Amino acid sequence: MDVSLESVRVERDSRVLLDVPSLLLRGGRTVAVLGPNGSGKTTLLRVIAGLDRPRVGRVLIGGLPVNASRVAYVFQEQVFLRRSVRDNLELGLRLRGLETKERQVRMEEASRLLGVTHLMDRRADRLSGGEGRRVSLARALCLRAPLVLLDEPLEGLDRPTYSRLLHELPQLLAAFDATKLLVTHNPGEALRFAQDLVVLVDGKVLASGEKSDVATNPHVREVAEALGYFVVIRDGRRVAIPPGALRPGPGPLDFMMDIDEVIDLVATTEIAGRIGEVHVHVELPTGSEPPARGDRISLHADRFFELK
Amino acid sequence: MTEQFLVIVLRTLIVSGTATAMAVLVGFPLGYGIARRSFRGRTLLLGFINTGMGMPPVVVGLVVWVLLVRSGPFGDLDLIYTRTAMVLAQFVIATPIVVGFTTASLQALPPRLADLLFVLGAGRMRTMWILAREAKLGLAATIMAAFGAIVSEVGASMIVGGNLERSTRVLTTAIVTETSRGEIERALVLGLILLGLTFIVNLALTIIQQRR
Amino acid sequence: MLDVLVPRFEKERRIEVKVIAVGSGAALRMAERGDIDAVLVHSPTAEQRYVEAGDLVDGRLVMHNDFVIVGPADDPAGIQKSTSITEAMRAIAARSVFISRGDDSGTHTQELALWAAARIDPKSLPRREESGQGMGATLNIADQKRAYTLTDRGTYLAQRRNLGLAILFHGDPSLRNVYHVYAVSPKKHPSVKTAEARAFIDFLVSAPIQQLIASFGRDKYGESLFFPDALKEARD
Repeated sequence: MDVSLESVRVERDSRVLLDVPSLLLRGGRTVAVLGPNGSGKTTLLRVIAGLDRPRVGRVLIGGLPVNASRVAYVFQEQVFLRRSVRDNLELGLRLRGLETKERQVRMEEASRLLGVTHLMDRRADRLSGGEGRRVSLARALCLRAPLVLLDEPLEGLDRPTYSRLLHELPQLLAAFDATKLLVTHNPGEALRFAQDLVVLVDGKVLASGEKSDVATNPHVREVAEALGYFVVIRDGRRVAIPPGALRPGPGPLDFMMDIDEVIDLVATTEIAGRIGEVHVHVELPTGSEPPARGDRISLHADRFFELK
Repeated sequence: MTEQFLVIVLRTLIVSGTATAMAVLVGFPLGYGIARRSFRGRTLLLGFINTGMGMPPVVVGLVVWVLLVRSGPFGDLDLIYTRTAMVLAQFVIATPIVVGFTTASLQALPPRLADLLFVLGAGRMRTMWILAREAKLGLAATIMAAFGAIVSEVGASMIVGGNLERSTRVLTTAIVTETSRGEIERALVLGLILLGLTFIVNLALTIIQQRR
Repeated sequence: MLDVLVPRFEKERRIEVKVIAVGSGAALRMAERGDIDAVLVHSPTAEQRYVEAGDLVDGRLVMHNDFVIVGPADDPAGIQKSTSITEAMRAIAARSVFISRGDDSGTHTQELALWAAARIDPKSLPRREESGQGMGATLNIADQKRAYTLTDRGTYLAQRRNLGLAILFHGDPSLRNVYHVYAVSPKKHPSVKTAEARAFIDFLVSAPIQQLIASFGRDKYGESLFFPDALKEARD
């Protein structure tokens, strides 16, 4: 189902949290909403879910006004009733008036897919971070809603859980036959999971469209920064460089970096420093003679995009 | 002596029990509304309620007496010195307690819970019911606090009830009566009964609270 | 009236007095326990028991006033035309509400005696209620419930302004309310302040104080509230 926002403004205490004159999210696709903290990403989700009402404007899901039955929301925090996982999964299904049989079928399927069948009788408010996240996803899956909203689905997980979920999430998302809207501040995750990108900065949509379009045409500094690019000035021009594209040594577009820190990460070495005023960092494979603090080394960019 | 005391105990339970039930029926939705909505003057209202919680019960009794007395605005209802008057006064004493506790225990719930219920499609009534059950810990305490406050108060009960032996004498006013007559043993027995009563009620509610 | 007498006694005799105001029943029990030094009570039958038991000594008659039956001004039980107190009590029992003090006070004891004389068991009356409180509170309740009650004239007069009750029966000899003062027996309770108690008794029965008692309340209520008897008794 398509999601469209028209002239939507959300304010609180005379602060503008969201200002979206027009936005269309195409149905059936996975869209990542990218932006720094405080950019209004959660507000966007909330306004689509109907939790916050816009001061002006309207939100349509599949051409119809917002309605809880059309949305499944996966919160960033663990939000459960002080009951069993089973009761928590069942709540939404009961509220939708589904029969016992149907409820059981859905719960069984969802818990199997998310690997939480062994947790069904556990107290939902006493799960670990990773377990809670999976149960939240299972809960949303049960609902079979045409629109699924995920708020920072990988936030706050320990390293092994994070890695696992990072690799499983695309598959899991595929199990949702729905439009998926995913909020993250991590550009890596956004590029990994989504087909479309929306870049939100200070409540405004600065870019939106297919992933490759947006990633190769940052246009403005804020979008480039949201995408995790380094924004550097070269000959009076602003250039955005994807982090992996900065390499040591000379090349077509080269720079001089002043080294501030040399960090020994055992398997690799990270060099942190500045090109001009801009903070950048580069990874060097171990083996080569690492430079020292205060040194200047030359870097070049394998790929880059010009900004206005 | 036992039969007399039994009558007084039953009467105490009925009067204070009714007043508590009424206070919960009125106070809970009020407390819920205040906890969930933000509106102008909310802080002022909460301050007012907290004052109500601390308002001397005897003052409540005095005000109710003035309203119900024959020369007062509701004198025609002939309610002064009746059990109904006592239930009324105790209801006024208990309701701010219920509202205050309810607001506090609902505000202690995780804030996203209400959001979750909304997106799952729960209507207003359903949401209130589920939040109430989630806040069960606080609600049992609320009832204990309200009942405890009114079953142990004597001033308002004396003033609006008149301590009439056949109709409006309850445990607290009976203790006063027996003491002022010098019947210390009887007074002590009544005191022990009152303690026992409060303990049993609190125990029952605590068991409910600690279940699950 | 004690508000006038006690400070005068304290000033004249230079003895500090602590007044505990309770019903006669409670006062007599306190005397029996030795919690107090002297009692001023108006419950002659009860007093008799304690005198015979040796708890009270040096008793003197101080004064009397009378009890009256008050009720709603329109007198629904029609006791104004009763020829005796018994007839009045019977009329009230038949159709009206009666509020008793129910607190073992002198008034309460008197009330019970009146029921006994009328051969009615007060416990059997469905419309008789006991307030367990003092005269003031009991009068308020009777007023609000449109009921009858027995009261000493003085308390009624003091509250008359705030009540819708009227004196509907009075004057019967059995409505006399007699006050005696006693000292608590030093033989039974050696720690009591006997000299001071005796000084208080002498004070109450002295001529000037008896005079004061006679005139008390006249300016405020237009009539005497109490009638001194000590000098009469001394003469008799």
